[in-house]
Amino acid sequence: MIIGLAMIGGGAAAGLFGSLLGLGGGILIVPLLTLGFALPLREAVGVSLVCVMMTSSAAAGVYLERHVANLRLGMTLELFTAIGALIGGSVAFLIDERLVSILFAGLLGYVAITMFRAPGRDGSLAGETPDAAMVLEPSHAAPSPSVLDRLAGDDYRVRNLGRGVLGATGAGVASALLGIGGGTIKVPLMHLSMGVPLRVATATSNLMIGITAAASAIIYLIHGGIDPYVAGPTALGVFVGATAGSRLGHRLDLRYVRWLFVVVLSYTALQMLSRAVG
Amino acid sequence: MIAGRSAGAVRAEEVIGRLLIVVTYVSVGLLLVGVGLLIADGVSPLSGGPTFELGRVAGDVLKLDPAGFLWLGLLAIMAAPVGRVTIALVSYARDGDRLMVAVSTGILLVIAAAVASAAIATV
Repeated sequence: MIIGLAMIGGGAAAGLFGSLLGLGGGILIVPLLTLGFALPLREAVGVSLVCVMMTSSAAAGVYLERHVANLRLGMTLELFTAIGALIGGSVAFLIDERLVSILFAGLLGYVAITMFRAPGRDGSLAGETPDAAMVLEPSHAAPSPSVLDRLAGDDYRVRNLGRGVLGATGAGVASALLGIGGGTIKVPLMHLSMGVPLRVATATSNLMIGITAAASAIIYLIHGGIDPYVAGPTALGVFVGATAGSRLGHRLDLRYVRWLFVVVLSYTALQMLSRAVG
Repeated sequence: MIAGRSAGAVRAEEVIGRLLIVVTYVSVGLLLVGVGLLIADGVSPLSGGPTFELGRVAGDVLKLDPAGFLWLGLLAIMAAPVGRVTIALVSYARDGDRLMVAVSTGILLVIAAAVASAAIATV
């Protein structure tokens, strides 16, 4: 009973932190389960994939109802994140877990450095740049091929689809290997490289998590890589934490949360690294 | 917000949004029952849950076995995005949007390939 409650509590903390800082909980769930509950890394990744799907689904639903997410762009890119996830999910069962640990430690280090160097006004990763929804590209900027026109929004154009396709495939591979939603890759990709306003990029990335994670979660499920006894309490906790985070976010001074998070991420990266080499 | 969408596409987005929200809450409810039963039965989450067998899920639910509710909740959350793409595919087909029909079909084919590749690998 205590372990079950600890999993719900740990999942809630991961969901709360992730929601407050715009990261999604995936980046914390894998270390929580491997370092905190001594779960094998692959099993932790499988559980994490289910958890990020759960938190993204409800948010994506709201974004779609409010017409913030760009469904056409999201579906076009998620075709490639799904292909990446299929590749990553298939490779995940062939490569050494220590290599995955090293990759995960690298990801944690990257996110910690990003948060340390370029904090947003509110402390969130998504706040690194001014709200681009307010700084829209003029629609007459350049003639675009028809596919790009059809992926555009009312008040912005989409560019660099090739780069988007490449990045989306990479995000899919990373998601499947590391059990993350991949927002840390997809949001900057869409916003900075493809010219999508930040608010739309965040909403669209959230929408894309579902199919990306589903493609690899199915592989983990069939390989026996998802334990329902672990996934159930953790996913519940993450959902509760993420819901609380979305309501608390505007009431807290997130600078302190961000500093705490940088410390936690750095420590966790070292732990994952020492686990890999030790 | 998004340019060039038909009324049908706008409606489909709202239906998809509602579907995702409803399925999330249904799966949360199922997981809540499963975790409640797990705790009531005194089963440790680290004791190793049963592997997934689709044919057993309904029977486990009827027996009030925690694994049945947990698998059902997890399956619901995994099926939601696939349902979302299927609804979008139908909507785009009605609008005669060939590009998005091709994209939606491609996504469903990748998901089918994931199922097939994992099934083959485990045989």
